[in-house]
Amino acid sequence: MAIEIFMPKLSSTMEVGTLLQWFKEEGDPVEIGEPLFEIMTDKINIEVEAYEEGTLLKKYYEPDEEIPVNQVIGFIGEESEEVPSSSPGLSSDSSSDVDDSEDTREGAEENVASQPSGEVDVEQNEKVRATPAARRVARERDLQLSAVAGSGPKGRVHEKDVVHYSEENQGKKITPLAKKVAENEQVSVDNLTGTGANGKIVKDDVTDAIQSATGSANTSSPKKKKLAGMRKVIADRMQESVNTAPHVTLTSDIDMTKVKELRSQLLPTIEKQTGLRLSYTEVIAKAVGVALSRFPSVNASLINNEIIYNEEVNVGLAVAVEDGLMVPVLKKVNSKGLSTLTKEAKDIARRAREQKLQSDELKGATFTVSNLGMYAIDAFTPIINLPETAILGIGRIQDKPVVVDQTVEVRPMMAVSLSFDHRAVDGAPAAAFLTEVKRILENPFELLA
Amino acid sequence: MREITYLEAVREAMSQEMRKNDDVFILGEDIGVYGGAFGVTRGMIEEFGPERIRNTPISEAAIAGGAVGAALTGMRPILELQFSDFITIAMDQIVNQAAKLRYMYGGKGSVPMVLRTPAGSGTGAAAQHSQSLEAWVAHIPGLKVVQPSTAYDAKGLLKAAIDDENPVIFYEHKLLYKTKGDVPEEQYSIPIGKADIKREGKDVTVVATSIMVHKALEAAEELEKEGIDVEVIDPRTLVPLDEETIVNSVKKTGRLIVVHEAVKRGGFGGEIASVIAESEAFDYLDSPIKRLGGLPIPIPYNPNLEKAAVPQVPDIIDAVKETVRFK
Amino acid sequence: MEKTLTLPSHITTEKLKDLYKQMWLIRYFDEKVDQFFAKGMIHGTTHLCVGQEASAAGAIAALQDKDKITSTHRGHGHCIAKGAETDRMMAELFGRETGYCKGKGGSMHIADLEKGNLGANGIVGGGIPLAVGAALTSKMKKEGYVVLCFFGDGASNEGSFHESLNLASVWDLPVVFVCENNQYGMSGPVKEMVNIENIAERAGSYGIPGKAVDGNDMVEIINTVYDAVENARSGNGPSLIEMKTYRWKGHSKSDAKKYRTREEEKEWREKDPIQRFKEVLIEEDILTEEQAKNLQEEAKQEIDDAVKFAENSPEPSTDTLLEDVYA
Repeated sequence: MAIEIFMPKLSSTMEVGTLLQWFKEEGDPVEIGEPLFEIMTDKINIEVEAYEEGTLLKKYYEPDEEIPVNQVIGFIGEESEEVPSSSPGLSSDSSSDVDDSEDTREGAEENVASQPSGEVDVEQNEKVRATPAARRVARERDLQLSAVAGSGPKGRVHEKDVVHYSEENQGKKITPLAKKVAENEQVSVDNLTGTGANGKIVKDDVTDAIQSATGSANTSSPKKKKLAGMRKVIADRMQESVNTAPHVTLTSDIDMTKVKELRSQLLPTIEKQTGLRLSYTEVIAKAVGVALSRFPSVNASLINNEIIYNEEVNVGLAVAVEDGLMVPVLKKVNSKGLSTLTKEAKDIARRAREQKLQSDELKGATFTVSNLGMYAIDAFTPIINLPETAILGIGRIQDKPVVVDQTVEVRPMMAVSLSFDHRAVDGAPAAAFLTEVKRILENPFELLA
Repeated sequence: MREITYLEAVREAMSQEMRKNDDVFILGEDIGVYGGAFGVTRGMIEEFGPERIRNTPISEAAIAGGAVGAALTGMRPILELQFSDFITIAMDQIVNQAAKLRYMYGGKGSVPMVLRTPAGSGTGAAAQHSQSLEAWVAHIPGLKVVQPSTAYDAKGLLKAAIDDENPVIFYEHKLLYKTKGDVPEEQYSIPIGKADIKREGKDVTVVATSIMVHKALEAAEELEKEGIDVEVIDPRTLVPLDEETIVNSVKKTGRLIVVHEAVKRGGFGGEIASVIAESEAFDYLDSPIKRLGGLPIPIPYNPNLEKAAVPQVPDIIDAVKETVRFK
Repeated sequence: MEKTLTLPSHITTEKLKDLYKQMWLIRYFDEKVDQFFAKGMIHGTTHLCVGQEASAAGAIAALQDKDKITSTHRGHGHCIAKGAETDRMMAELFGRETGYCKGKGGSMHIADLEKGNLGANGIVGGGIPLAVGAALTSKMKKEGYVVLCFFGDGASNEGSFHESLNLASVWDLPVVFVCENNQYGMSGPVKEMVNIENIAERAGSYGIPGKAVDGNDMVEIINTVYDAVENARSGNGPSLIEMKTYRWKGHSKSDAKKYRTREEEKEWREKDPIQRFKEVLIEEDILTEEQAKNLQEEAKQEIDDAVKFAENSPEPSTDTLLEDVYA
């Protein structure tokens, strides 16, 4: 009997998944564990492997379609087996009751956790079969070996493979900054000539192109890009948050003198322990965590008209990634030391940028911190990451004159903005919470207690 | 230039030096009127007399140690061992005495001796008279190891070995004795520790020693017809090894094959391969390093079996083709 | 008083007094070394010749300065008798930069080429062929020196012993082989390891004279070795002398001496070569008891000074590791 292929539920908040691509065509043989299709959830892109072997009999959906979880999207079975001509709906194994049970969720999470497909990709990147000469040339030309097709035995990449690849892709040699600018400005780099070393495209090449393009803007039509993938997820979630949660934003200035002291004192110790540099993000996350543990109403989730007071204090860190945003989670922040937090925060941020997070690392946040302090930003109005009830926006730290004990002193001041969901929390407790954050950051040594 | 055999070149190097330097003498078994097992010293006793062409009892330990003692006290002996296999019997004197004395005496004294001995298979002498044991001595700090492949190299390197203040193991190859080459009549010296590029090429580096140099050159001729350009390097001396020449060649070609007659397992080819793997040439390697060496067996008697026990020209051709396949 | 002592002419009264002191130097040196090993102040291993002082001092007394010796792993006595400085010897055992081998040789490798000591040797029988080679140099260069080749009863079962005696015999070389039979090759009693009464008898097989002497009798040793050395110097070839003696200490450190009885040790202690030599000298009116005591004290003082020198000498720098390396 043919086996259903269904849209897996990969997180507690996942309701639909977007089919990105099929790896197989109807009629193709499929083996257990082979990647079958790729989906995008609200948090992550993931390849889904076949649970059964057989022949892919039917595909009901095409890429870019949004499909509810547990919806049957295809069938695997014997070659001659009959299957329905359109999707029979939800998978026969699922029901709404089961759907919400812990077992199923954990089962689904386990499936994700044990998904080797994502890891296989990573491994293929790191362990490409290549000769030393091929590696050297790839290094010199700043190329990913994993992108190069090897002509040797077992796909071994030889020097000539890298050279060919490099020559074929010559026009695409581009610095990261130039690439970012081009993407932001939606400029194609395909026809640009690089002025950098070995014809590499640098930022100026892109800005020149933009200037010459705007000169003749009337004649060329603007580049268009369909809202898809992560962009689409972010768009939907932000829209939902703004539409459903009445946002109130409170701002305050925090004197960071002592945090600076604390950081400079702990920096060498933590660097020695972990090899990593303690940054303000971790101190702020820790202070927020401690404050949250004292303000359960801010550490709450509003789900289906119920306020759930979360026991764990899990702080999501908004991380800008290529073409989007991810919010990996630092778990149990209030109970971890700064050294551990430094390690974990750097690790998840790095892997977020590299798109290598496991799906459970994107789950379970009870509060989010969004840091724009690296830009010239003071206050802003962050949008709450539902179902959380609040989000803290961090602005830059700037030396400002402040009155201390009747005299004007220059202090490093940091602007913070707390948006909260007025359905779940009122102004006073939110303000008290922000005041507590301020108090802790102005007396940060208590974090070491 | 005049053409003489490898054997004549060895003899000439010794004779010319002995005419100039009374401290140089030869000792060995049957080197007198018999002329040595392979005839290298033939005619020398007539010129230099039995005092300087010293026929010895069959006592490899005593004559090896005698050479060490004579060298330590001011002579420059050349010891001929009839077959390089017999170094087993002389080993204590070579390894524990000759190689060690200068260092363990705190830099006092030196042992300017040459141990000449023919190695290799191909004569049907079977297991105890056909080995190539150069890796043994190359492993010992305190011994220089020379393996000339041509008449020209043999004469120049033997002169350098005799002039050397320290013990030199000088491996001749039985099958090379009859090979001819251009050799200057006058004395000349080839520095110990300088490799020779016997053939320039750009596609693959073949490092070959002793008789394998000739097999590699023959293979290179064949491969040229197929458009494969082989560089053949003869290290000429294993200790000290001219690493620079080999590294530069591999940086150029990106491919390395090492060929020696000695058993591949534990052979000197492993050392050369390791030198490349550790060197800056590593980053230029575009194919796995290959070693060709003798099979791990005693050299058999039957001529077909004997030939099959050590690398031959077709083996080198195959190895090169496999190595350059992904060029 | 009438002198009954017959000795070679170069053994003067003064020389006899020096020899008496030299025997004490040897004994105190090795006793000190024993003590330092026990305390863990010296590492590695060492072999002591306490009880065998006469064979070292007596045999070497028979030589001329230009004559050479080769020594053994139990060689401190030979070194001292051939004129080595006890402070530099002690420094070598301490592994110091000022030692004879710059701290790189240790107990078994002390050589003093300027004084004709071609070196102690860590290989049993390893030095015998070297002595033959050095004698060959003497003969070929007509340098007129004789080589005194020390080895033990154990070494007389090595191939190198037999090969070397034969080679020296057929070449008529100026070498005197001195077998110090101290009754044990490590733990092996000579009676179980050699099936003849006297090792000296082995000389017969090689057509050379052999003689066994009381190895604790200075006078007999000096005279016997003198005759053999001068015979060799006159071109009459080698000979073999066996010194019957006894080592008081174990083979090397950590030897429980389970292979022999305490009674046997006591018997041999009563044949103390130093005591016997003193009695001769006093009887011959060459020494008084008091003078003897003073000489003994002087020897003790010299060894104490040697220890101070060694202790105050610097350790060699690891920068010297590659010094004196040529291959």
